[in-house]
Amino acid sequence: MAAGDGAILLLKGLTKIFAGHRAVDAIDLQIREGEMFTIVGPSGSGKTTLLRMLAGMETPTSGDIILRGQRINDIPANRRPTCMVFQSLALFPHKDVGDNIEFSLKIRGVPKAERKQRALELMRLLRLPDHYYDRAVTRISGGERQRVALARALAFDPEILFFDEPLSALDYKLRKTLEKELKDIHRETKKTFVYITHSLEEAMVMSDRIGVMRDGRLVQIGTPQEIYTEPNSKFVSEFVGDVNVLSVSVLPSGKLKAAQIPHEMVAPATMNGVKSAGFLVVRPEFLRFLDAPGDADNHVVGRLYNEYALGSRIQYQVRVGELVFVLEKLRHEAFAGGLDQEVLIGWDAVNTIVVPDR
Amino acid sequence: METRGVRVRHALIVVWLLAMIIFVYIPSVCITLASLTSSRYFTFPIPKWGLDWWQKTLSSIEIHQILETSIMIAAVVTVIAVVLAFFGALAFARYDWKGRSIYQKLVLLPIFFPQSVLGLALLLWFNALGLQLSWQTAVFAHLVWIVPVVTLVIAIQVYSFDPALEEAAFDLGATRLQVLREVTIPVLMPGIFSGSLFAFLLSWGNFPLSLFTTGADTTVPEYLYAKMVAGYTPGVPVLGTIATIGAIVFLIGGYLVMLALNRRRSAA
Repeated sequence: MAAGDGAILLLKGLTKIFAGHRAVDAIDLQIREGEMFTIVGPSGSGKTTLLRMLAGMETPTSGDIILRGQRINDIPANRRPTCMVFQSLALFPHKDVGDNIEFSLKIRGVPKAERKQRALELMRLLRLPDHYYDRAVTRISGGERQRVALARALAFDPEILFFDEPLSALDYKLRKTLEKELKDIHRETKKTFVYITHSLEEAMVMSDRIGVMRDGRLVQIGTPQEIYTEPNSKFVSEFVGDVNVLSVSVLPSGKLKAAQIPHEMVAPATMNGVKSAGFLVVRPEFLRFLDAPGDADNHVVGRLYNEYALGSRIQYQVRVGELVFVLEKLRHEAFAGGLDQEVLIGWDAVNTIVVPDR
Repeated sequence: METRGVRVRHALIVVWLLAMIIFVYIPSVCITLASLTSSRYFTFPIPKWGLDWWQKTLSSIEIHQILETSIMIAAVVTVIAVVLAFFGALAFARYDWKGRSIYQKLVLLPIFFPQSVLGLALLLWFNALGLQLSWQTAVFAHLVWIVPVVTLVIAIQVYSFDPALEEAAFDLGATRLQVLREVTIPVLMPGIFSGSLFAFLLSWGNFPLSLFTTGADTTVPEYLYAKMVAGYTPGVPVLGTIATIGAIVFLIGGYLVMLALNRRRSAA
């Protein structure tokens, strides 16, 4: 892709230094027109600072923010064609639902009747009943407040919508529903969404592409599929749910050796440049109980320590010396053996990758 | 066992309540009783009840003048104090800036000065500047003490104010001024309102600062004191009662306004 081709937002060496600390460190990124891009990282990784620079609420120390070919570093938030949905939602507590949604239109001097019409359109899009128009924002539920905040941002008709972990305060079930709703809204509106969250699981559900952030840097950018199946570092591989990460060394033969496993292991094709020492990543769904050692490329004998019901799946913990492996099976394929029993587990090299320690 | 604990707790609550009434509220009622006498002197029990002194006081031009002065000072102090304290409170609690912690201490310090010393200091200062003492200088003196109090009252509201509200408004295209008008002031209104009640009532009841700085003008507390020292008439408790009732009416009125505002805000 040529520079800027299809990109609505271009970041070049974007850096923010707070009191000597590089909160955001030389980020280069292209965000494509109409995509849903999620920046995910643990707290303190700099993702909020990055988003606040994009929205115009922090000034970069160095680097450029280029929106549709125009450098916008010095344009304040109120003159940028972008809009943010805040973590706290920041709904105006003294205004009704309608007045909240219409705020940007009122600022632009749009006549009341037209404003109301637009607000009602957005409320319908977001499945808020019409009679909520006159309701106080303090008297609606968490999920409804979420929708009002989104409607308020959409009323602004921004070129890019930024989201600062708006779902983090909600309970699990509601969060899951709203994640999908948000993705549907993204589809409906065809706008560019830039979302930040600390939950890679959340990012996976919604995003076209994900950027994983650590210590102010983007360590990997890719589709949810790529991030899940081809993490480029130990950090990224461990970011999604439970995963088996095994410290390994590469033998001259090309096979792998881990301290607690007696056999040499077949290496995967994807080595991410690891030449001597790295980490073998095996997702729990690719580990299985074996009848005989030859049933998989690699095997190890362990003790079934515990099992956990995860709804549709069951997770097993198998201990091999000090190592702990987690396996997952669908409920209807549950393992028949009992706890504390010796078990043979294994995996095929094709389902694994090796990553460097980053 | 538990019932005994509950009984002891109940007894303590009753004792506490009685103590409150005896030490705080009965004296105020005594002032009113003392104003309802027909005789010229202060004697208890009251020999003959009557509203004579109320009539005399309410028709006195001097008293009108004094009430006017007190109201004038309190009103002007309220307006100026609320404006200064509003911005002061934002600097106090909303923004993080170099020197904020020093400012926070400096701005609150005048609250702890002995007011009579502050009054004397201001008197000397006004003299040094060659200013004629009047109700205007008293306004200034009251402000020195009241602005910090109101700043604190509004700052408490500011602490519970989500800065993201201002950012959101700004992000939605509002100018700084529009943010102030559309978001900051309305959201902080309860604090501003209680701050203005404080300002008015603290000025209305202030004696030590007024004593030193009003010059030829006289406020209600000054008049009460002067008449107690020399020339007591039952007009003194009458004016005292008026001052107290005025404050109570003002407070209740304020409370009702606040209630109405809250109801409007949370109306379905």
